[in-house]
Amino acid sequence: MRNPLSVSFSVWRAIFLRESLDRLFDMRAAWFWLLAEPVLHIGFMAIIYGVIRVRAIGNMDTALWITLGMLAFFLFRRTANQVTHAVGSNRPYFTYRQVKPFDPAISRAVLEAFLMTIVSTIILITAALLGHNAIPGDALLALQAVLGLWLFGVGYGLVASVLMELVPETEHVLKITMMPLYLASGVIWPLASIPYPYRDVLMFNPIAHGLEFVRLGFSPYYHTVPGLSMAYLYEWALASVFLGLMLYRRFAVQLVMR
Amino acid sequence: MIVIEDLHKRYKTEHGPGRWVLQGVNLTIPRNVNVGLIGANGAGKSTLLRLIGGIDHPNKGRISRRCRLSWPMGQGGLEPTLTGRQNAKFVCRVHGLQNDLQDRLGFIIDFSELGTAFDEPVKTYSSGMRSRLQFALSLAFDFDIYLSDEVTAAGDAAFRLKAAAAFKAMANRSGLIMVAHDEGTLKQFCQAGIFLFQGKAHWFDNIGDAFKAYKDTLNHG
Repeated sequence: MRNPLSVSFSVWRAIFLRESLDRLFDMRAAWFWLLAEPVLHIGFMAIIYGVIRVRAIGNMDTALWITLGMLAFFLFRRTANQVTHAVGSNRPYFTYRQVKPFDPAISRAVLEAFLMTIVSTIILITAALLGHNAIPGDALLALQAVLGLWLFGVGYGLVASVLMELVPETEHVLKITMMPLYLASGVIWPLASIPYPYRDVLMFNPIAHGLEFVRLGFSPYYHTVPGLSMAYLYEWALASVFLGLMLYRRFAVQLVMR
Repeated sequence: MIVIEDLHKRYKTEHGPGRWVLQGVNLTIPRNVNVGLIGANGAGKSTLLRLIGGIDHPNKGRISRRCRLSWPMGQGGLEPTLTGRQNAKFVCRVHGLQNDLQDRLGFIIDFSELGTAFDEPVKTYSSGMRSRLQFALSLAFDFDIYLSDEVTAAGDAAFRLKAAAAFKAMANRSGLIMVAHDEGTLKQFCQAGIFLFQGKAHWFDNIGDAFKAYKDTLNHG
């Protein structure tokens, strides 16, 4: 007899390996698109800002500003999406009672963090070689913000997947909200340039806090939006993760059953 | 040994909770007995097997599994977009056989006789190929009690002979709880029978008696 923890570890390992094959080789050159998607977004925005000659945003190199915001946002969005659909894509494997609904969710979240670390490293090193100052001034601050965004992505995904299972219409609502979230989080538009009182409304969004902290971590002289709070990001992240875990515990059977 | 106490199960339907499929099932299934589940369609045979296998949860009551128990074999358990090999590796890993992986894979490849198709996605398989892979997977592990939900050996005559012999050897070696629609199959492999009727389970030491009880209800009902 194996103890429960070693069963969980072997399940996580099995799902992690199976999911990474899917993520990297599912379609022709799937691994290429993992890298190409953020590169194209960053390149497109960098060209737009280049054309209108915005050299710096908040005292920070525009290209780097876009790159960091985009990568951090992609980390959140990809983690959230992958976790949301984790149970659905592993449904046949719940035939094995060792596999619990939470297992694919956690494995996918870790896999996404792993892949985004590689993608971000490649893009940042390329940026550095192109002459941008892509070395973090305060790496720990940036890491802390990135971790918070990842946790919030996990929590969002856990909660969303249960909601979608209980109320199928939520899927449409969540898809609709993802698009404005991209704009409202300050990925391609500096929130600091938005006037009071609208900016304060936008800063209710914890992702906006995360992105600003990542930028501040790379460039200590960056002028952030006033009123940034790391605690606020982590409150959202931890609250959503706990809510998500609770929902998984409560609705474990409904998630797996068809 | 599997101990089932006061097991209740019903499913949710479009119109609220459905009827009780199982209503107060009490059973003790010893380790070295082969037992067949008998009952009309919808009597709860597969439901009981899934509950014992731990992939569904009872509304009330409890099951304790004091042995190494297989998953309910024969239905599902394969992810269609992955290849046979990737699926087989997954199942080995879930059962904690990471170090033993190559041996088990070798066995599964040999037994299933899938050849190059083993590295093709499962969704491209014919139903015969699928069941051959499922059959090989179910034989690749050692369990105290096997759960078999219509495990079928599809394939040519030679393969069916080999599969029947392997299944028989497995059934002699360990316990077996099986669902099959064919009376002959059940009698071939099982000594004891559980007859499911109106949400209750009745144990018979002899599977012939279980069939007799089943047929009595048909005649009078």
